[in-house]
Amino acid sequence: MIELIGLSKHYDTVRAVDDVTLTIPTGTVTVIVGASGSGKSTLLRLVNGLVTPTSGHVEINGRDTRKIPSHDLRRRIGYAIQDHGLFPHWTAARNIATVPDLLGWPKARVKQRVQELMTLLQLDPAVIGARYPHQLSGGQAQRVGVARALAAEPELLLMDEPFGALDPAIRAQAQSDLKALQVRLGTTVLLITHDMAEAIFLADHIAVMRAGRIEQYGTPADILARPANSFVSGLVAVADRPFRYLSLFSVADFVEDGPADGPPIPADATLSEALARMIWSGQDTLPVAGMADHCIRRHSLIGVAGPPRSGAVR
Amino acid sequence: MIRRISVACLCIVVLAFLLMPDMFRPVLQPLVAEGMPPIYDRANLLMLTLAHLGLVVAAIIPSAILAVSLAIFVSRPAGSEFLPLSRALTNFGQTFPPVAVLALTVPLLGFGLWPTLLALFLYGLLPIFENTLAAFVTLSPSVREAAAAMGMTPRQRLWRVELPLALPLILEGGRIATIIALSTATIGSTVAARSLGEVIIAGLNSNNLAFILQGGILTAALALLISEVFSFVIRRLQYTQQAR
Repeated sequence: MIELIGLSKHYDTVRAVDDVTLTIPTGTVTVIVGASGSGKSTLLRLVNGLVTPTSGHVEINGRDTRKIPSHDLRRRIGYAIQDHGLFPHWTAARNIATVPDLLGWPKARVKQRVQELMTLLQLDPAVIGARYPHQLSGGQAQRVGVARALAAEPELLLMDEPFGALDPAIRAQAQSDLKALQVRLGTTVLLITHDMAEAIFLADHIAVMRAGRIEQYGTPADILARPANSFVSGLVAVADRPFRYLSLFSVADFVEDGPADGPPIPADATLSEALARMIWSGQDTLPVAGMADHCIRRHSLIGVAGPPRSGAVR
Repeated sequence: MIRRISVACLCIVVLAFLLMPDMFRPVLQPLVAEGMPPIYDRANLLMLTLAHLGLVVAAIIPSAILAVSLAIFVSRPAGSEFLPLSRALTNFGQTFPPVAVLALTVPLLGFGLWPTLLALFLYGLLPIFENTLAAFVTLSPSVREAAAAMGMTPRQRLWRVELPLALPLILEGGRIATIIALSTATIGSTVAARSLGEVIIAGLNSNNLAFILQGGILTAALALLISEVFSFVIRRLQYTQQAR
């Protein structure tokens, strides 16, 4: 468990980060959303000591990080940034090996770990391993950056707009890859972004930040359904908000008894996928794959998607 | 390719001249009056060239060590206050004419090697210092931040990231400093340091155009060749780190 306790960073009269208290449960993804200048980058840098707090502190599993030498602390916290910051004079493999090397792991173990991570991130160790950063595509460099951050099995992974430099075509793929990776490894992640859709997709918990303060903290469903104030509702009030909300639930949770025709939808598809299919095909019900005599009804989905109404929202 | 071939040819001609100067007698003979020697004969040209190179190396290496150390120091938080002072110092070394250094230091250090070494040493500081500093300043902020965030100590950041990335620019400074030193070393012979300047001065004293030319051209050829060696190494380094 990572705890940010009363963290503040003041530059002269500017309160970049103002009394932020936040708990990140082990194995979950917390996303901080905010515009540029909201203090979210500073907050991230306070966690690994790149910025020294004016007041407050961070605890990792109950241990005050002020008592750990900063370079030791940073070796235990992974860090991935927008323009990846790969060392241009080192190959991809050596970049990934940075922290294990600093920790003095035996050569064989480092090599094995690099191979393992590259495979995990779909980078061919034999081909990509020997390349220099300038020889990598944007997506490859981003994944090498993530592999480097994960190399020494950090207790916490900090990510500063990790997909910001990717073009939209590959960004969605990179986001789902990260999500799958996080589920598989169970890494605790603190990620910052200015993109609410990205936050809703990736987060277990979202903290909306403005002017150095947390405006709202909650699950994606909370933030979408019950924005705490006009600032947060401004961030989530976009045309496809109902679809975003529906995308948080899976078909399996809303299966009802009854027959339906047509091609079945997988039980692990999201409700937004199901609704989109119904609108497109003009059906009111869809059969669910692997579940005979069960279906999902449009009427029920529409009940889920709207703003809070008594009894309609889970 | 053409560049490589011409460098190789130049190298062969210089070596041939140093090892078998008599072969060039017919070329230089028309430049001198009857009875005068066309090839410098008061000392072995190869030995003079080696002495010349030795002088440059002996001055530039300590100059580079000081200039790089100084640049490292003033680019750390603790040393940033000393940046203006260091700039002034190295600028002074560059603007103060080497001849004046010789004139001022001969009474203190005596004739020969030492005043020349000092003059060349001072002359080499500025290009190396300024280039090293520029390399540190232009280092990508995200690379710098990544090095800190990965948990490198300040010393590890310097040795593993900053210096290797600065190396091409540092070597560029070394190239400039070395070329300047190679040509400036000739004036050392006015205070009796052994260098190719001896050949030029002998030519001036005895009105021997062949001497002046062979001293001058040898010096220029050496500068060209050494510059090529530096450029080759720099290009190789940059190939692996284009995106700096």
